[in-house]
Parts: sequence; structure tokens; C-alpha cells
Amino acid sequence: MRKKPSTMAVFAAVVVLIVGACSPAATASPTAPSATTPAATGGPGTPTAPPPAAAVPKVPTGYAELDLALGSDKPYAGKSVNIQTQWVGGEGTNFAAALADFASATGISFKIDSIASSHETILRTRIEGGSPPDLAVLAQPTAVVAYGDAGKLIDLATFMDVTKLNAEHSATIGPVTKGGHIWGIPYKADVKSTVWYPIKAFAAKGYQVPTTYDELVTLADKIVADGSHPFCASAGGPGTATGWQLTDWVEEVVLKTQGLDYYNKWITHEVKFTDPGIKAAFDKVGKLLFTPNYVDGGGTAIVNTDQKTPMDPMFNQDTAAPGCWMQKIPTWYGPDFFPDQRTSGQPSKYVIGEDIGIFAFPAIDPAQKGAEGSGDTVLMMKDRPEVRAAAEFLSTPEGLQKWIEAGSAISSNNKTPAEWYAGAYKLKVAADIVANASFIGFDASDLMPASVGAGTFWTQTVDWANNNGTNTDAVLKAIDDSWPATP
Amino acid sequence: MAPARTHESGLSRFLPIAVLIGLLAAAAGVRILIEPHGGQNLLASFYDLIGNPAGAEALRNGQGDQFLAKLLLAAIALFVGVGGIWLLFTGASTLVERFPPKFRDRILPWVFIGPALLLLGIYLVYPAVATIIGSFQDQKGAFTLANWSSLATGPFLEILRNNAIWLVAATAGSVGLGLLVAALFDRIKREALAKTFVFVPYALSLVGATVIWSFVYAWQPASQPQFGLLNAIWTAFGGEPVPWSTKFPINIPAEILIMIWLQTGFAMVVLSAAIKGVSTEVIEAARLDGANERQLFFGVIVPIIRGSIITVATTIGIATLKIFDIVMSMSGGRNHDDVVAVRMFTEMFQFFNDGRAAALATVLFIAVLPVMVINLRNFRRQQAM
Repeated sequence: MRKKPSTMAVFAAVVVLIVGACSPAATASPTAPSATTPAATGGPGTPTAPPPAAAVPKVPTGYAELDLALGSDKPYAGKSVNIQTQWVGGEGTNFAAALADFASATGISFKIDSIASSHETILRTRIEGGSPPDLAVLAQPTAVVAYGDAGKLIDLATFMDVTKLNAEHSATIGPVTKGGHIWGIPYKADVKSTVWYPIKAFAAKGYQVPTTYDELVTLADKIVADGSHPFCASAGGPGTATGWQLTDWVEEVVLKTQGLDYYNKWITHEVKFTDPGIKAAFDKVGKLLFTPNYVDGGGTAIVNTDQKTPMDPMFNQDTAAPGCWMQKIPTWYGPDFFPDQRTSGQPSKYVIGEDIGIFAFPAIDPAQKGAEGSGDTVLMMKDRPEVRAAAEFLSTPEGLQKWIEAGSAISSNNKTPAEWYAGAYKLKVAADIVANASFIGFDASDLMPASVGAGTFWTQTVDWANNNGTNTDAVLKAIDDSWPATP
Repeated sequence: MAPARTHESGLSRFLPIAVLIGLLAAAAGVRILIEPHGGQNLLASFYDLIGNPAGAEALRNGQGDQFLAKLLLAAIALFVGVGGIWLLFTGASTLVERFPPKFRDRILPWVFIGPALLLLGIYLVYPAVATIIGSFQDQKGAFTLANWSSLATGPFLEILRNNAIWLVAATAGSVGLGLLVAALFDRIKREALAKTFVFVPYALSLVGATVIWSFVYAWQPASQPQFGLLNAIWTAFGGEPVPWSTKFPINIPAEILIMIWLQTGFAMVVLSAAIKGVSTEVIEAARLDGANERQLFFGVIVPIIRGSIITVATTIGIATLKIFDIVMSMSGGRNHDDVVAVRMFTEMFQFFNDGRAAALATVLFIAVLPVMVINLRNFRRQQAM
């Protein structure tokens, strides 16, 4: 009588142990820094050894440290540079490809730690813990400056040609400097004023790409009248970074209604969040996101949707009957996030420029022709000759060339030859947006103090969405209250 | 007696040499362990030695037999960890054995306690003191009270309120449910089987459990099919889908329920053992005196197992005060459901407010103290009994 239940209990316990042993590993592994994981020095499947003399590696000359590394005896061959990035999937492959020529020309190999989730947190742990990677890529200039102030970074001005750096980069997406130090150099730029839409369904329904805010609202109403939902929107992820999409919306509208001066004063808190101009921008965004049926499920859906999936309904019946029609998301978005590629891992059958198109976020005030951009900054934590050479390489157009030619990245270096971008639909749209803009504003939340820009501005807009935009005044006041007394 | 002694001293003559060799081996092991890619490099050197330069080159480039290199590293870690500790104690006690007996008896306890005290000092006392000092410093290290005064503002009071709700609801829920289940299962036939089912969740990790429950709570717009279990049931009865895990205030009980689900098993096991420990004489005496079942349970059994209830409640209480995983993986504390431990993490790693993070850590430390005191007092009283 007693025997049977206890054997059952043992069996159940064993099962539970196995499940228990599996579940933490499964949830922990994506965020764990994979310091020992080898990163491909070329793309996946490519051999480490360079193909013998077939193609001349494209590495620029005329940079002090880089020239040393390229010396005929390859002085740093066999050395290794560790770099931590947030790029995984297609972006990770493209980044590895961009480094391949440099690796084969100098013999320096790269160990890339690609962190899908909580990249910033892991980087901070490594830096504070005294074992940082040699190089890292960050999207938030505020964080870069904070590390620089704390004495954790190598001043790039000590070995790089500052005049050249400044000449080759714009002031908006340029070197991250403070007090004569250069704590970061821009690597890759993104345009954020982009709206993704299904081209064929637009044509089939006779919808026109809107060029003004009013046209956008008219189109949205028409889509609702046709029984669908105009906007795909999400605030989720990756990881703890929840809410940045909403701040992007607000920043876009502030730029396009108030202009660059006002925008920059907002970043430094000379203009408060409770200022009428900011409130008006929140209201304009709220109208697009929280008008019933504009987003299926309203603010609740925005909060509950992860950044990977908001556009899924657009692909209904092969994009013939979209469940949502427009998503405002930066240029780094792409096939990695399309449902077929995301679930199968195979290249998406949807072509950007044929199936899925991109248009510029429409103008609001015709006098304020602005666009929003952002950039990924390279920072350096270890001073070794091979790291210097690698950092210098990343500052050149060639440091991104392979990624650009894959049709997926924009260099922040203005010496980048225009023909590299030729033929890539996404990059052409981005270039047109930049060309038509009379000013570019850098992502405001990335420039505000971290406790606001990666803190309350995110959390409060999430709260705002949770309440379908009914608590705007409380949200604005809460953000103002959280502004740190000493920056 | 005498021959045995000479034999022993003969052996102990070799012991210092053995210890020395052991220490050298351990030092070499530590050197490989602290070196980045030490395992790969060691295996690569070995490959060079046996004439496999291709394999060695591949390893050094971060390819090749990575798995073998990791296994090697694990073996070295095991050897250094276990062997090193053994060496430390054997070596130290051998050394002390050579002292005159009067000193030996005084020193010997310290040899065994010493390493533990040292580690406790390095990993517990030093960080605790540094954290408390850090809570009074601003970004540049100057003295300030701003970290503490900011905790009295709205968002932080909300966090403290949430922790209080967690402490009361999760602890009461787990202990109450655990006691109920223990008392009821005491009377059924397949008790072990039933208890197994209640105990199973306790073996899950908090993050794993939260992932499971986030599927239960999943929300989809009303126009879409609901794949979340709770919303599927809810909408089947005609309700509008509810965002259980993201909408305040329903999200707080939703998260606390996960903790209760996990901890009830633990409470049940301990309390069930305590109930079985109540002697049948006492119960029979109560029955003879005419106590009904309710009186028997609340008037006799519960007072007798009071010590166990306090132990279980304080243990779960401490775990609840420190709650991090569930809130972090459910929402990151974003929807008015933030708690102290999660905020400590975000202040530290996302907002770069080390001082405020330290103040929050100190708050948590202070909050746990009274619960620990209750637990220790109860423990002493039980020992006295």
C-alpha cells in the first residue's frame, strides 16, 4: 500500500529536477556574456584563414595605428580583440562580415560577444567588475560620457587624428566628447523617421503614402473605415529596454513641430516636459496611437507587444490583407523581424522595396523639416596596439563597408562613397530623408540622463499607454520630478 | 603504541613535501583558471606537444575542440577547488599538530574556522559596510543625504508599499494554504501522491515559474484568439480580455500568486511533518474532552506546531522581501509593480545611480533584520525545549 505512492513521488521528483535544471539554463543563456564563445571572424561557415590573394582586402591607409597594423610584417598577427555588441542574427552576421577584411589584412582576430538582451547591463557589469571587453558598441552617448567621467575608458584623442575625425563626421552623429576627451567614435548611423508599410496592399486599396500629419490621420481613418487597424505599435523590449519606441514617437513629433533649438533645450531640461510644446507633441502621438481602432487593442496592446512582433499582422495572407498597416521603426529594422524569417531562421521571402516599403514620417509643421537619427558609438576600454588599430578601422567608412553593401547599414562617416549605397532600397529611402531634412536631431532619450532617458521617460510613457493617453499631465510631471538634481 | 608512532612520524616527514607539490599544482591550476581562454590555451599547448599544430591553431582562434577545452577547464576547477581546500586543511592541521599541545588546542579551532571567517569577511561584511557607506555618497563620492531623502518621494513610497503587500499577502497565502493542505492531506489515502503535486512547483526556479505563468496571463486584443489560459477561460464566459500581468492593480496579485504557487509546497512539507509529530495521546485526550474537529485543529494542533509555523513564515517572509526574479521577468517593475530589489538593480545598472541603489540595498537589509531576529529567537526557544 505504501510503496506505490512513494515510487510515484520519486519519479515526479526526478521529472521536476530535470525540468528545474533545464528552465533556468534556458532562460539565463541568452543574457549570459559568452566570453568564451568563439565569434566567427568571418561570416558563419567561412574559414578563418583568408582566401589566398584572390581579393585585395579593403582596408584604408593613412591612419597612424592602422598603418602600423598593416605593416608588411603584420606585427599584430595572432593577436585578438574582444568586442561586445548588441547585434545578433542578421545584424551580427553583417558586423562580422564588416570586420573580415581587416582581420585578414592584419592577422588580428576578433572575438565578438553578441548580447541579445540586456547588453548595456552586462557591459556595465564587465566594466565595473574590472574585466571589460577591449571595445564595445553603445547606442546611448550619455552612458559613454558617464563611463568616460568615471575613468573607465581610453581617450581616443590620445592616438587618433582628431582633426580628421571631426572632418569626417557630422556634429549630430559624431565623436562623443567631453572636455577635450573623445570617449567614443560613431560607427553606424540610423534614421528613425521611417514608417514601414505593405506596398502591394497600399496599391490594391488605392492608399497614398501620406506626406503630412493631416493626410496620415485621414489615411488612418480610411483604414479604420475599411475595417482594419492603421498602426502596428509596440513598447516591449528587448529585455529591460521597454518603452523606447514610444519615446521615439514623441521625439519625432517634437522635432517636427518645435524645431531643433527647442528639441536640444528639451534634452538639457531647459524646456520642461510640462512645457506646452511637449504636451502638444504627446497629444499628437496619443491621437495616432490611442484613437480607438488605430492600434488593435489600443494602449494595452502596445504595452503587451514585444518589439519583435508588432508588424506580424501586416503579413496576413502574404501582406494582401494586413491587420495593421504602418509601423514607425528605425532603419535597423529588417527581415530579422519578419515573421517568416523570425520563426524559421531562413531568409525572408518578403523583399524590402517590393513587399514591404518605407516612407518618411510625414511633415507636421512645414517650417520644421527635421528628421530623427541615432548612432552606435564605439568605446575603448583596453589600450593595446591591436585594439587601437581596430578602433581606428571602425572609424573609417571601410569599417562598415560590407554591412552597407549588404543593403542594411548607414555609415556615420561622411567620406563614405555614395555608390556603396546604390541599389539598396532601404538606404536610398534613408538617404532621401536625410537629404530632404533641414536638420537632424539625435535621439533625445539617448542624450538625457540615464535615469530619465532609459528610465522614467520609458516607464512613464508605458504608463501613459497603459492608460490610453488619459493621464498625460501626470506622466509629464512625473518625468520632470525624476530629473536628477546633479547630472 | 611506540611502533605506530614512529610509523606515523615517518609518513609525516613526507607530508610537507606532498603538501608543497600539491600547493604548486594548485597554483598552476589557479593560473590557468584566471587566464582568459586558459582552457583553450592549455589544450592548444598539449596539441603542440603531441604534434597537432592544426588543432592547436584552431583552438587559439576560438574554434576547434572548444567543448574539450571547456571540459578540461572544468576538471581543473574541480581539482583546484576540492583539492585546494583539502590541502589547505590538511596542511594547516599538520603544521599545528607540530606545536606543543597547549598551543595546539587553542590554535586548532581557528585553523578550521579561519578560512570561513575570512571568506565571510571578504564576501559579506566588507560589501555590506561598503554598501552602507556608498548609500551616503553622491556620484563623485562626496557625502550626501540625497539618496536617502529621495526614498521618501512618491515613486519610492509606491515601491515600499508594494513590498509590504508582497510580504503580507505572499507569506500569509503560502503559510495559510500550506497549513490547510497539510491538515487536509493528513486524512486522505494517497497522501504522498497528493503532496507530490503540491510540492512540484517548489522545485522550479522563480524565472521558470514566471515564464510558465506569463503564458497563463498572456493577453491578445479582443479581435484575436486568446492563447493565454486565463484569458481564454475569461473570454469564454463572455469577459473582455484582461491584461493580467501588465495592468495595475491586478498585476500585483497576479505576481504574488506565482510566489504562493511556488512556496505552498515548502510550507506544506514542513507543516505536515509537524502535524504528524503531534502525539496521538494529546489528540485523543482532546477528543475525549469533547473538542470538535475545528477546536482540535485551532486549539490543540496549531499551538503545538506554532514553532514550525513561525519558522516557515519567517523563511518565506525573507524570500518575499528579497523578491526580484518574478517581478523582473514579468514586467521589470514597469507597471506600478516595482519592488525594492528590482529598483536596486535598475538604479544601479540602468540609471547609474549607485548611491540610491546602495540606499535601497540597505533598506532591504534593515527590513530583513527583524524577520531574522524572530527566526533566531524562535530557533533558540525550540532548542531550549
